[in-house]
Amino acid sequence: MKNRTKLPNIYLGVVMAVLYLPIVLVVIYSFNESKISSVWGGFSLKWYETLFKDRAMFEALGNSLVLALCSSLGAAIIGTLGAYGFTRVKLRSKSVVEYISMLPIMIPEIILGMVFMTFFSLIGLPFGMTTLILAHTTFCVPYVYMLVKARLVGMDKSLGEAARDLGASEARVFFDITLPLLVPAILSGMLLSFAMSLDDVIISIFVTGVNVNTLPIKVYTQIKTGVTPEINALCTLMLGVTILLVVLSNVLGKIGKPKAGKHHKQTGELCGPGQTQ
Amino acid sequence: MKKIIALALSAVLALGTLAGCSSAPASGSTAASGSTAASGAAAEAGELNLYTWEGMFPQEVLDAFTAETGIKVNYSSFDTDETMLAKLETAKGGDYDVVIADDYIIETAIAEGLVMELDKEKIPNFGNINPLYQGQFFDPENAYTVPYGSGVQTIVYNPDLVDIEIDSYADLWDASLESSVGITSNFRVMNGMALKMAGESYNTDDVAAIEAAGAKLLELAPNVRLIKDDNLQDDMISGEISAGVMYTSQVTLACMANPDLKVVYPSEGIGFGIMAQFIPVNAPHPDAAHAFIDYILRPEVSKQCFEYIGYYCTNQAADELISEEFRPFLTLPEGFTADNMEMIQNVSAEAMEAHTKVWTEFRTACGQ
Amino acid sequence: MKTPSVPLKKKKRSSVWVTLIPLYLFTLLFVAGPLVYMFVLSFQTRAEVWGVVNQFTLDNYKNILQPVYLNTFVESFKLAITSTLLICAIGYPFGYFMAKLSPAWKKRVMLLLMIPFWTSSLIRLYGWIIIFRANGTLDKLLMGLGLTDSPLKLLYTYPAVVVGMVYALLQFMILAVYSSAEKMDWSLVEAARDLGATPLKAFLTVTLKLTLPGLLSGVILTFIPSMGLFFIADILGGNKVVLVGSLIQDQLMKAHNWPFAAALSVVLMILTSLMISLYKRITHTTELEGIL
Repeated sequence: MKNRTKLPNIYLGVVMAVLYLPIVLVVIYSFNESKISSVWGGFSLKWYETLFKDRAMFEALGNSLVLALCSSLGAAIIGTLGAYGFTRVKLRSKSVVEYISMLPIMIPEIILGMVFMTFFSLIGLPFGMTTLILAHTTFCVPYVYMLVKARLVGMDKSLGEAARDLGASEARVFFDITLPLLVPAILSGMLLSFAMSLDDVIISIFVTGVNVNTLPIKVYTQIKTGVTPEINALCTLMLGVTILLVVLSNVLGKIGKPKAGKHHKQTGELCGPGQTQ
Repeated sequence: MKKIIALALSAVLALGTLAGCSSAPASGSTAASGSTAASGAAAEAGELNLYTWEGMFPQEVLDAFTAETGIKVNYSSFDTDETMLAKLETAKGGDYDVVIADDYIIETAIAEGLVMELDKEKIPNFGNINPLYQGQFFDPENAYTVPYGSGVQTIVYNPDLVDIEIDSYADLWDASLESSVGITSNFRVMNGMALKMAGESYNTDDVAAIEAAGAKLLELAPNVRLIKDDNLQDDMISGEISAGVMYTSQVTLACMANPDLKVVYPSEGIGFGIMAQFIPVNAPHPDAAHAFIDYILRPEVSKQCFEYIGYYCTNQAADELISEEFRPFLTLPEGFTADNMEMIQNVSAEAMEAHTKVWTEFRTACGQ
Repeated sequence: MKTPSVPLKKKKRSSVWVTLIPLYLFTLLFVAGPLVYMFVLSFQTRAEVWGVVNQFTLDNYKNILQPVYLNTFVESFKLAITSTLLICAIGYPFGYFMAKLSPAWKKRVMLLLMIPFWTSSLIRLYGWIIIFRANGTLDKLLMGLGLTDSPLKLLYTYPAVVVGMVYALLQFMILAVYSSAEKMDWSLVEAARDLGATPLKAFLTVTLKLTLPGLLSGVILTFIPSMGLFFIADILGGNKVVLVGSLIQDQLMKAHNWPFAAALSVVLMILTSLMISLYKRITHTTELEGIL
């Protein structure tokens, strides 16, 4: 830290610029009048117009949102309960089941897609939203599980024990004491699951069914079959919403600081992504 | 696994910035409750599940059909015939109402019992079909299918970027075309090109011949810039490739955009194909499917479709409606009849395995 | 102090196992089940028309040994190694420098790294098509600067695929390294310097050693997915680079050879697991750095 040379900062800036370059170009070309992206045909909003008229695109967006919500919700329930259960019950099968349930984020996605497609076809489950949700939940569970587990490990157990000693039922201990403390971890796990589900192409391609196009699948076919700058317009909007959310959450976070301060302290240890053990 | 670290990213977002405000995720949970019901094969009248390549119908035609009949069209798309067949197999011939795919795959689908026999009573416009495109190998009795466009494999090149005169497949091997040829990703078409050059049939079962063709194809690898089924014409128009083996629809689009492009019907022989509509055997809405097929066979609707997709018009009642600028592209060139062209048909499992292997080898060679 | 409550706890704990039911059921049904089926499938025979015949065979594995398919594994590894090395070279310094930023800037850089995750990764890749295509952004720039006089034709080339891979996976490396470097005890570096080590030596003996788990974790997090990301080779490489991922997809969707696809998947999965256990062996941890 004594080294106050500017070189590292320049490096960070340059890499960041390269990371954002394609995104900026996509945004710029969303305002391009011409259909071919190598030609600049002047400023135009016509692709936004096309986008808003494109029913299929919005259906795909809707499907993706529903899918992401269901799978992150499912993962939240399964992952939270599972992580909680494992801290309270000692089972010999724990390590095996834990290992297997973590596999979906450890193996290449193509394998998951492959096994789900063959497996669902084996058990005769019709391809569609159900299969999508099942498949996505599978790879969302590990995210919630790991975050909740990390939170549970760092948590003060005496509160729950005290409550139990005072005669509170297991369910009450869980809902009144443990769960509220886990909320930040669950939410971040869900948020992450949501993002992963929203962006998944590979697994979705294999398990999707009739008239269930998710946004990434739609984008993939569009890119392969000739993109119209409509896609650029959509990306620009998504980016806008993301930035808006980030700004909004920052602003809200500042307003609610006195209230949120306690949470911040508790979650502080989790903030750094590198908290292992 | 791919995005594990994103975990960290989102954790930071959630914990660092959203810790104080739980509103964003909470608002979502209400919407989630009833949505599981949205799964696949809900058999309700007033719907039609259309399954074909992306961009096979102008939106106006689909909208007009819905406006007239009240049947909502759900358009889903596949990238290759094989994907379609795989999906149809896993759905056991259900889920979809109208499928449009290539001839040879329809033959397989029919053989597998995945296709429903058409009820021609419900298709009064059946007579509009040009008989030239009927009675082919995949449906000799015309019991299962209604053709929706036809095309031949053509070479297109940009004379501004190519120094030689191309008039055969063999010319694509010319060293001057290094890294500038675009080809389709249908391996039967591409391996077939090499087979044709050796005077073989597209449909030979002779593994040795296929392997010999594969060896010939390997020599083409340095010239290949791009392997792509859809939208090859855009790369032609933008100058990314200077010559390409294309389907009729792509030729139409490319030539409409750049009239200077040259179209070549390779001297080694012409490959010919038909796309057709069929109804899967367990289609959830067979009546809607028949109504749709009949609607598409109306001459004025057909005209709209063909001018949109750019394939040879298979509806003879629509021929005269086709506008002047499209006419040269939408009718079979003179002298071409179904007899002197060859269609790609199914081959034995051994031949197919040889094709797949040859193709994988070729693609890998192209990438180096 | 805790001893008296033990018998009480034991009695009450009996109902907690209920919370494990969803995880057990789900894991067994939808993770273990499909994976076991994949394993079984890889020993079955493909049917003449379609589907699978329940007949034991080793042919699918023998098939992988054919030069064409073996070559695919080799090519995938080559591409994965090239991409991973580049990602290390770019991502390690980034994560390292990032860890040295002030807390406020750390948060800002983290946010900037994160925002792209909320846009479609495909669309971000599409941005590279705009850059690479003939007479695209890069060509115009280079020609404008007078460095080249004709389009470079970078799109649909091997380098374009590598760029796409690096771009899609770089953030994982950055974060893995960052998480390692962030919790590093910088006083150790200073101690080494005080004892007379040159900056380079201090870096090699202290910093690199302490951030090695992060670096290795980053390697795994980029190497393994890069073998399956077939759509990058598809979109940026003009379909010419055949990865194990695209081979599996082709066998599944085009050639209809499910058993062969399963066998390929099993082999790929074994290779993946080997890498992860190697990582655990080297770093003596059970979880990947940067996951939590």
